[in-house]
Amino acid sequence: MSRLDRWFEGLTRQSARRVSRRNWLSRFGGVLVGGATLPLLPVARAAEKHTVGEDGVKGPQGDPTRCEYWRHCAIDGFLCSCCGGSHTACPPGTEMSPVTWIGTCRNPADGKDYIISYNDCCGKSFCGRCMCNRNEGERPLYHWYRNNDLNWCGGAKTQTYSCSTAIVVKTAQEPQPEK
Amino acid sequence: MRPLIAGALFLLVSGTAAADSYEEHDYILSCSGCHRMDGSGSKVVPSLQGLQELAGKPGAREYVIRVPGTAQAPLSDERLAAMMNWLMQRFTGKAPKPLYSTKEVGRLRSTPLRDPIAERKRILNAER
Repeated sequence: MSRLDRWFEGLTRQSARRVSRRNWLSRFGGVLVGGATLPLLPVARAAEKHTVGEDGVKGPQGDPTRCEYWRHCAIDGFLCSCCGGSHTACPPGTEMSPVTWIGTCRNPADGKDYIISYNDCCGKSFCGRCMCNRNEGERPLYHWYRNNDLNWCGGAKTQTYSCSTAIVVKTAQEPQPEK
Repeated sequence: MRPLIAGALFLLVSGTAAADSYEEHDYILSCSGCHRMDGSGSKVVPSLQGLQELAGKPGAREYVIRVPGTAQAPLSDERLAAMMNWLMQRFTGKAPKPLYSTKEVGRLRSTPLRDPIAERKRILNAER
């Protein structure tokens, strides 16, 4: 550590001898303003495609407002991300239903299967935007344990369905057997 | 250097948790949608915390396999037996004795209960 101290001391003393305070201030100001304006330049933002999502899952974020988004593989309903909420949060004025339809989807970014919970948001009349009915791995009504055509708002305070979220619960041990 | 390593470890661990076992995976995929992750249920679904007062009573061992949700779960006898052993340990604090075997679960689920609520009442009232 003392070597680092000595190196840094030498550096500061040297710069104190060479550079005037005004010169330092003007340069420092330049760095501050330049640093702040750099992200405004029109450069391709390819790196953003591989950010980590708000619930910590890596991969191309894709567009959660589109039905093709990987997490929507077993969804049946209006996407909350088109309805004033997001794919993990309900729009204001609605309540997330505690009971929910659950399935697995494969994330193309890492090739892993994730358990997805399609919690419905309840309490306002249906959203009507971005209807998405992919239902992969769903089964007809007589297989009630793999059917999602029931009103999951049954567990919430008000039973009016508004829209659906797609929340990652955990990574799955295997894809859902019905797929 | 140490805080740096600790930070890196934290980032590594704080990623999305993986289902720890096939038992937990099966619980999340086939049960937790209605019984919820913590087993607390809702106004339309019974709480799994209720297993505490049921476990150990005569008939309870058969009852928990014959209820419609268990008997008709889309799992093989083997996976269902393993999941129920895990589930009883988790919600009652004690594993079933003896543990459910594939054969026992296969036999019990072949005769699902027509009226689980009546059977539950019968089990709970039998001891009084």
